[in-house]
Amino acid sequence: MLSKSIFGKAEPYLFLTPAFVILLVFLIFPLFWNVYISLHDVSLITLIKGWRYIGWQNFLDLIEDPNFQTSLKVTLLFVAGSVALQFGVGLLISTLLNQKVRAAGVLRALFIIPWTISAVIAAFSFKFIFDENFGILNYLFDKIGLQPINWLSDPNMVVWSMVIANMWYGTPFTILFLTAGSFSINPTIYEAAIIDGASKMKTFLHITLPILKPFIVINLVLITMWSVNFFDLQLVMTGGGPLFASTTASLYMYRQAFEFGLLSKGAAAGLILVVINLVVAFSYIKLLRR
Amino acid sequence: MNVKKIIAFTSIIIAISLILSIGYGFINPISAQKKQVTLTAIVAEPKDRWDILFKSAQQKLNEKHPDMDIKVDYRVLPYDATRTQILTAMAGRTPIDLVSLDQIWLGEFAQGGFLSDLSDRAKSWGREKDWYQTNWDGGKYNGKLYGIWAWTDIRAMWYWKDLLGKGGINPDSLKTWNGYIADAKQLNNVLRDQGIQGMHLVGASQSPDMWYPYLWMQGGDILKQKNGHPTKGTYWFPAFNSTAGIKALGFLKQQVDAGIKPQINHFWGQEFADRKFAVMLEGSWLLGTFPHEQWATLNQKIGMLPMFPVQNIGSKSATMMGGWILGIPETSQNKDLAWELVTTMVDPQVLTPMLQKEGYLPTQKPIGEGPYAANLNSTIPYYKEMISMIPIGHGRPNIPEYPQIADNIKQAIDQVYYGMKDPKQALDEAAAKSAKVLGW
Repeated sequence: MLSKSIFGKAEPYLFLTPAFVILLVFLIFPLFWNVYISLHDVSLITLIKGWRYIGWQNFLDLIEDPNFQTSLKVTLLFVAGSVALQFGVGLLISTLLNQKVRAAGVLRALFIIPWTISAVIAAFSFKFIFDENFGILNYLFDKIGLQPINWLSDPNMVVWSMVIANMWYGTPFTILFLTAGSFSINPTIYEAAIIDGASKMKTFLHITLPILKPFIVINLVLITMWSVNFFDLQLVMTGGGPLFASTTASLYMYRQAFEFGLLSKGAAAGLILVVINLVVAFSYIKLLRR
Repeated sequence: MNVKKIIAFTSIIIAISLILSIGYGFINPISAQKKQVTLTAIVAEPKDRWDILFKSAQQKLNEKHPDMDIKVDYRVLPYDATRTQILTAMAGRTPIDLVSLDQIWLGEFAQGGFLSDLSDRAKSWGREKDWYQTNWDGGKYNGKLYGIWAWTDIRAMWYWKDLLGKGGINPDSLKTWNGYIADAKQLNNVLRDQGIQGMHLVGASQSPDMWYPYLWMQGGDILKQKNGHPTKGTYWFPAFNSTAGIKALGFLKQQVDAGIKPQINHFWGQEFADRKFAVMLEGSWLLGTFPHEQWATLNQKIGMLPMFPVQNIGSKSATMMGGWILGIPETSQNKDLAWELVTTMVDPQVLTPMLQKEGYLPTQKPIGEGPYAANLNSTIPYYKEMISMIPIGHGRPNIPEYPQIADNIKQAIDQVYYGMKDPKQALDEAAAKSAKVLGW
């Protein structure tokens, strides 16, 4: 009787154990290991030798590094642009697809395609599309009598070229997510609104959006985090140039760790990214709970 | 009854197997006792070159060791992944017997304790004098030999003969800075309407590599040894912001001012093969963008000048050499055999057919100038001209801090390209940052 009651109490924890072990091994341990590395002097040269404790030095170096400061500004532009476009275009397309559109299923499947492609392949495609000499965009501009644009070599333009590429790549997720959310809305609510004489815009603003709110929050949190962490596009399309104008903080982190071999500096940059992600996630949740 | 049948059948099978195995042992006693050895390697793409080399070297190694059955298990990885994979393997103490290293990686790998010191083995081998001095020294770090530079590439000036003809340009005028600038303007005027640009100017991550030749030809250096380092006594100090460096970067600025656009995307010569540029300073790998069947007649369409433009006619030019070094990781459990594999792979008999097929340049004099040269000369277009550049070829520093220094130089070049700073200011700032990286 006693053993049954003990088992009964422990049962939920036992069920949680596998998930907790996975979290511990693949998330919590690497996170603390990253903290440990960021507080030591770890580079390729010291990798298999002793690691010297240097406290907050890596973080101080990062804060003082003008290239890291630039990368934070670039990240802000890249993330703000990407999230605004991915969410705006995604919401628009998912709303349109939820109207009585012919072949909506086929269109949904077509819109998902970019998201199924590897980010590296997407990056190579856009590298060619935006190329100033061979690219299709400048070719079309030339055909219609417009001046070619330096998509990737103009430091003021390059981040927006990245945003366009990221919009193409990331928008399908928002379409998919918000479409799934809108399927959960009971159609009788719309019918009632129509009977009450609500216009389409009013129905969208006062019924669809409020009901979709939890989906929108999660979607915004996810696409923001992904955009903060994303570096494949920048790495392949420009390598972060020109003049660091497309070096986001995630690419900066990658380059420090794997191009320059400064593993602890890369780890410190990674932790700053984790903090940025957490701040963003909590801000969204707080803002949208109001 | 059935049990008896099964026992009888099994006994017969066992007896036959025993007889056969004993018989095979008599017929082929050595193979029965052959020691199985698998050498592992991590090498960089493209794969073809390694297929040719390993196949041939493995065969030779087995002939040399009839008591062994030696196999080479090699992984071919993309350029960046090669470096990361080697480092991961080394950090995890994974036993690997051979790695291919870009020349600029050698320092950090050696300093990190990942590579075996090959100095004594090389001394007993006795082939050091066969290598061009620059190429032999490229395998050294802090006076010790950590790798054998197997083949190289040089950068030279390539041009489309017909496009120069359209612009009414004599290729000889490309040899000087002034001529090069004037020709760029002329070619852009004539060819721009056809979607062709006169000259190519690298604006991608490797732009420092295409600036160094101008620095070297002016007598400058990227780094120099200096006394008084706070922890190391004598150590490297940035020297690229010298007068030579400022002049060299000034020439790049002149090119931009003349309307040559830095190209942020680099397609390793394909853009030249696609006739998007009339003239391109590019590595010898550019030949690989043309089909092999065109090689025999390529010199009718494509011209080549074995130099970078010089400030004044008669001045000595310079070029940059890259290429691959073969090293033996500290974690190798078969160091003797791995060394034999390396020396077999760089044996002219084994290496030459690969160079001939792939169009690479040798680091050894017997292949470059000796008895093997005729084959290469008859197959690879402009081979003789490319070999003539080896004496004016320089390597980049192979110290661990080099990637960060190159990044600072790249930033300085970009600042000049975009008119944000003049060459002196940009180089001085890059040198100050590089000095900090070097621990000064």
